[in-house]
Amino acid sequence: MLPKPLQRRQWAAGMSDGDAANERTRLLVNPVSNTPNIPTAHSDDYVNPYANPVPKKTDEQSALNRILQETAANVIDVGALDSHNLEQHEYMDRSKAYAKRIEVIGVQIPDHPPCLLKDIPAPERVLAGEGLPQQDREMVTDMMNSAVTALSEIQVEHKEDLVVPFLS
Amino acid sequence: MNVFQELKKFLYQLLNSVDGLHSILITDRDGVPVISVSDEKAPELAMRASFLSTFGMATDQGSKLDLGKNKTIISIYSSYQVVQMNKLPLVVSFIANNICDTGHILSLESKIDPILQNLKNVVAEA
Repeated sequence: MLPKPLQRRQWAAGMSDGDAANERTRLLVNPVSNTPNIPTAHSDDYVNPYANPVPKKTDEQSALNRILQETAANVIDVGALDSHNLEQHEYMDRSKAYAKRIEVIGVQIPDHPPCLLKDIPAPERVLAGEGLPQQDREMVTDMMNSAVTALSEIQVEHKEDLVVPFLS
Repeated sequence: MNVFQELKKFLYQLLNSVDGLHSILITDRDGVPVISVSDEKAPELAMRASFLSTFGMATDQGSKLDLGKNKTIISIYSSYQVVQMNKLPLVVSFIANNICDTGHILSLESKIDPILQNLKNVVAEA
């Protein structure tokens, strides 16, 4: 069985055919803020008129209109989507206005702390790149060996007595 | 260097950090760029307002599918891919080639988010 809201939508969708202009305007006026709130608002608003035993005519009319509008907002009607293309000058004006406003408002740019490891755009290129030249490798190995030798040859030179009399 | 140029520099860094990414555009709902960066390979047609603005409608309609609010739409074509994020009143669009790592593009969201709050004010008040 279909969930109740879905049945209502389908019913109202059938009724709304004659009022396509209204449907379009509703979709375009405030489509974003409408969308997330609709499921709750939809069911609450819908139940009320029918709970009332003798609804007045205007109330009923407005309730129906509301149902219609909410349904229209819930229906995905690709045909009614109207892409209003901007005029070239309007586009330019707005773009310039935004650039100016960025200067006025100012935007805080996040500073990245320097990382030892960082993203590499194409790792395969780095990985497939040429390895370390033999000469460099030899140099690194030589220096390592010298360092190891130096470390191993550290000696303590005995100059004075290790134990000295404290209280003489 | 003024704010606008610094912002561009920041976006260029993001652009260069992803291989195959050609353009980052932060636009308003109608596809008018608030700020954008692109390289020479970016397809000009995909950067037009008439193309970018279709996302505004698509994301609204997609949010009606009872799957929650639509956040991102990824369109992959034979030579390019377009990733558009719903940050209304802003729309963030990434245009990349078809072999670009989509996950890498999506990971830019967290890097670009901090600057969006200020830019939202730019659009809201203009």
